Amino acid sequence: MGGELEGVEALLAEARRAAAMPDPAERLRLRQAAGLSRPQVAGAVGVEPQTVANWETGRTEPAPPARGKYLRLLEGLAEIHPTPKEPRPATDEPAPRAAADLPRQPVPPAAPQHPAESPAARAARAGHERHQERRRTTSADHTREELGQLVTGAVHEELTKAGGDAESAMDKLAKRAIPDVMRLFAATRKTARYEYTAYPALPDILRKPRKDAPDLIWEARPSWRHPGHRRHPDGDLHVTALDANAAYLSAMKTWLPIGRLEHSATGEHDKKRSGVHLITPPPWHHPELPSPLGDREEAGPLWITEATLRLLLRLAGPKHRLLDPPVIHESWTSSATENFLDALRQILATVRANALASGDDVTAHYVKAMYSKFVSTMGESHNNRDITRPDWMHIVRAQAFANLWGRAFKAHQAGLTVISAMGTDELHLAGDWHTVFTEGRGLSEMKVKTDRDGVPVHYTVARSSR
Amino acid sequence: MAGRWMNFGMYRAEGVPGRDALAAGVERMVTGIASPADTDRGIAARLRYLTASHAGYQAMERAGINVTRRTLHAWLAEERSPTPANRAKLDDAYWDLRRHNVAADLKRRLMSQGGTRIEIDPVDQSRVERRHRRDLQVRHLNVRPRIWDAAVNAWLEEDESTLDAIWDDLIHDLGSDYDSYSYVSSIGWNA
Repeated sequence: MGGELEGVEALLAEARRAAAMPDPAERLRLRQAAGLSRPQVAGAVGVEPQTVANWETGRTEPAPPARGKYLRLLEGLAEIHPTPKEPRPATDEPAPRAAADLPRQPVPPAAPQHPAESPAARAARAGHERHQERRRTTSADHTREELGQLVTGAVHEELTKAGGDAESAMDKLAKRAIPDVMRLFAATRKTARYEYTAYPALPDILRKPRKDAPDLIWEARPSWRHPGHRRHPDGDLHVTALDANAAYLSAMKTWLPIGRLEHSATGEHDKKRSGVHLITPPPWHHPELPSPLGDREEAGPLWITEATLRLLLRLAGPKHRLLDPPVIHESWTSSATENFLDALRQILATVRANALASGDDVTAHYVKAMYSKFVSTMGESHNNRDITRPDWMHIVRAQAFANLWGRAFKAHQAGLTVISAMGTDELHLAGDWHTVFTEGRGLSEMKVKTDRDGVPVHYTVARSSR
Repeated sequence: MAGRWMNFGMYRAEGVPGRDALAAGVERMVTGIASPADTDRGIAARLRYLTASHAGYQAMERAGINVTRRTLHAWLAEERSPTPANRAKLDDAYWDLRRHNVAADLKRRLMSQGGTRIEIDPVDQSRVERRHRRDLQVRHLNVRPRIWDAAVNAWLEEDESTLDAIWDDLIHDLGSDYDSYSYVSSIGWNA
């Protein structure tokens, strides 16, 4: 009985708080006044940081079950940091900024003996805040929001056409993903500093010998199992199979050559340039970790991309000293930037995070089709004639593999046993992986791999007797 | 050929004449049988294509394939297989016919939507001494339908002088340094 009544009381308390819910600007003010970060609040309330951001901009309203906790938090914060309804005493803080920023509009001095603000002063304060608010959202933010709406707009359009049938809308969206992402890419390049080359003359190593045969570039795709362990039902090590989220989307942040690749044989790596390099790889002497060159069986020189070379150089550097520096024989490079696809990446990542937070499968699916097809068709493809940059395709893929290697290394350093690293995004770890990665679907998080029936993949391994 | 590149390559600039890049761009749009002519599968597909129409027989004649009807039937039935020399001729005949057959489609792709915008990548000057370098950027041009029509016709007839004239005409629109683009490193477009 008592428990039920408590439940009712709790609901009533929540309803009372909901009736007095602060407006979005106040929510933001309270959090900032307390010096809390969005992830902190999100973690305490049990939602994604983006959701908190949406509540604070007024895009969405808090909804149960997280609403109760959030309102209780706001109530508590409001007690600690009450709304500054009255002008503060001059002794407390410097004069309001309004006076400095708007010299032409006289603001009456806020004297402590006049507690009520005059209408003109209130108007000045409101105007100042609106002005500041507008200044904080830069034109870049506006552009980003507009471009994000291109994506959500397409989803809305197809859903309307399909009469709400998610399946057929998803099919339609997958079909238009390539032209759409190319349009989005072009839009992100509108105000960009560099003009890139979409159809450069390619060196022979980047030309496919036949339409269905690969070129000479080694992308360092991992396919590795720990040689000292084997899968065994009575093994003593419990392994969890993990997946990196949206690996190719994260990998768009990489050093990409802007123009046509130019040849050099100096054997030196220029940090301001990017491209493909002919190297002789150093031997790898760490059997407990996958080789950063992937599952290459051939020894001897090979062509690798910028992403792999940078990984090798980092690992050869003073911080790690895991291997000898590679010998660079030749390079095809162009001046480079790491932010080339970053605008596109950020837009897609934001839309993806919003879609996942609100459980919008259609948009999430569409975004996935956009970035994965963008990467897979930016080389030579009949499905995408807007761009012919096989060098970019190789570099982005190699970056995804390098990122996976980085995660394997991070887990290894934290004391976990890396059992397997495979493909673009698969990592099998023995030990408590929660100490290293957070579980979730965000770009920096890892999710547990599930098999065809949706069952999480766990297994045990034993040390093989050797 | 327009231009002040009196002696192209003297200072080690690298590139191809614009007409060649243009022809190569049109050539890239042509698709066809993927299997090479030295495989049975590739030869069978070529024979089937060439014997499906009167134009096919004419193409074989133009390519210099003088075999009896009997031999041709034996090839088709895969009882005998063509000699390497005849395989090469069959390949030539196939691509000749294929180019003629897809030309109309290429024109449609290039001319719909009021023409196609091309990207011109200037010559590679990375080996040229700095003082001899020209200041060249990647340029874009809208190529109008009537020009595409003439260009595809010239490509089909392998008429280099017409292609050259078309290219010279085109790059006039690039402004005062147009003649720097009479040689290019590549041209690309989306059609």
